[in-house]
Amino acid sequence: MANDPKVQIRQFVMENAQGRGITELGDNDSLIESGIVDSLGIFRLVSFLEETFGVKIGDEEIVNENFQTISDIERFLAQKQGQTTGQARATA
Amino acid sequence: MAYILQQFLTNSAKQNPDKPAVWARGRTLSYRELNERSNQVANLLRSRGIEKGDRVGIYFSKAVESLCAMFGVLKAGGVYVPLDPLAPVERISYIISNCEMKGLITSGEKLRGLDTSKIPSVKTFLITEDKANGLDRPEVVSWSELESFPKGSSPELQTTTTDLAYILYTSGSTGRPKGVMLTHQNALTFVEWCAEEFQVTSDDHLSNHAPLHFDLSVFDVYNAIKAGATVHMVPEEVAKFPASLAKFIEEQGITIWYSVPSALVFLLLHGNMKAEKLAKMRVLLFAGEVFPMKYLKQLAEFLPSVALYNLYGPTETNVCTYYKVGRERLKTQEKLPIGRACANTEVFAVNDQDQIVKAQGETGELYVRGPAVTPGYWADTEKTHKMCVPNRFQPHFEEKMYKTGDLVMFDEYGDYLFLGRRDSQIKSRGYRIELGEIESALLSHPGVREAAALAIPDEEIGARIRAVVAPHEPGTLTVVDLQKHCAARIPSYMIPETIELRDALPKTSTGKIDRVSLVNAAVAPAA
Repeated sequence: MANDPKVQIRQFVMENAQGRGITELGDNDSLIESGIVDSLGIFRLVSFLEETFGVKIGDEEIVNENFQTISDIERFLAQKQGQTTGQARATA
Repeated sequence: MAYILQQFLTNSAKQNPDKPAVWARGRTLSYRELNERSNQVANLLRSRGIEKGDRVGIYFSKAVESLCAMFGVLKAGGVYVPLDPLAPVERISYIISNCEMKGLITSGEKLRGLDTSKIPSVKTFLITEDKANGLDRPEVVSWSELESFPKGSSPELQTTTTDLAYILYTSGSTGRPKGVMLTHQNALTFVEWCAEEFQVTSDDHLSNHAPLHFDLSVFDVYNAIKAGATVHMVPEEVAKFPASLAKFIEEQGITIWYSVPSALVFLLLHGNMKAEKLAKMRVLLFAGEVFPMKYLKQLAEFLPSVALYNLYGPTETNVCTYYKVGRERLKTQEKLPIGRACANTEVFAVNDQDQIVKAQGETGELYVRGPAVTPGYWADTEKTHKMCVPNRFQPHFEEKMYKTGDLVMFDEYGDYLFLGRRDSQIKSRGYRIELGEIESALLSHPGVREAAALAIPDEEIGARIRAVVAPHEPGTLTVVDLQKHCAARIPSYMIPETIELRDALPKTSTGKIDRVSLVNAAVAPAA
């Protein structure tokens, strides 16, 4: 499914990873140890998530627990989207 | 008194045996434990044939074992060589071969990534865990085997203050990293000055943010151990996330922080820091690159009672000048000085007429002399003679001074200001990078005819790296292919962020690649 968030996240991460000479990456591989997420790359990734999925990510949420692996990012995103829908319902 | 680095540890272990010496990833070692463990490492290395002056590498992610390894090698009379755990294997193998390493302290995972047939000089691999998964070979020793070695004392050796303590590899303009040799005296000169200037005590908690192969970590480790304080190692994954880093500073109660300015800018902009939670911080040091004034002013406002210092010095001289930020002066300052010489160090600027600069505002190249200066580069006498030159300004006895390649002038207060480089060395996120090393990596690709690596100025990280490449045959190269090629040869912080492919590179009237026009084209806003 093209709209599957994991597919889109993976695609974005792999575009960055290729520049680091990495062609394979498991959902649970560390993005930090492989050098894919450096202190600059993390903010590009955050902007991508905000623009693509319409979520707002606070500085306090940009921590290693949420961004270690592709699975972590997906879990974090699902949690964010859950919050947004929850809020939308509450307002409606 | 200490005249060799390991005496800092033995002294503190006598005075404060039960105090925590090092914290990393939730684990601590007391001074007694660190002293005993490093004795065991030393005794093991000796039993495996490591002799005085032999090089031993340290190659694993930060852990409490990092300090056991550093002090263990020193106590064995060896010279330790910290290796970047994130660097490409090819670069690591080159360094191991270049300094003919005899031993390597590493992790099982890192060892499995190395092709040991390419590093035949290494006869002993000490791994920080137990042997497993095909590492059951006679040359591999597991950490638990240390238990069988004496812990009460280390080998008796006549190590002197002029013996080598460690070698730090930095980017080299000829395409290969070069090993800066540092003696015990080089490090002690710096550490003794710090102890006095920053009044480090056993109540302090120092952070270790810089990687161990980076000379900033010399401050963190040896100042903490000398004072009987605690050094808190920042795990690599925490260092990448400003908010995680801010939490680390709060939770560990850091009192003295030292890092490159770009790490502080990231903390300031994205760390979500609360000043009241950083109440324990008293000294904040930075070095490695120019601190953008806009952010320094914000930082000074954010932490009004913390002493801020700009430290300056290439790896070859440790820190040789310092500037204490003055709050009043900062309000109107446009450029942050690198200041004046540290104790037991002399610096001066030499102009194009080969005279020592005396007048305010006159430009010259900065020279450094004194016991902090490196004896030179490992196995590279040519480079050593080029950079460590005889002191031609005093004829009475033979001595060397280090030519930094940095252009400076002094201001109306007598503080030096950094103006730029004489050569193509640049700084990005505090990393010292030779553009020539990046160009060599690109040119080693068989499809590349010409390549230029450029530094594009950047407010937050100093410079972003861009490359312009011309292939032998148009249409035969891809950007991803080139980046992959680089990733196998140079560390990730050196890989060009952007690569532009052109059929040919522009030339100057003398036929050289016209770098100025390439940089201008990259800086100019898109039309």
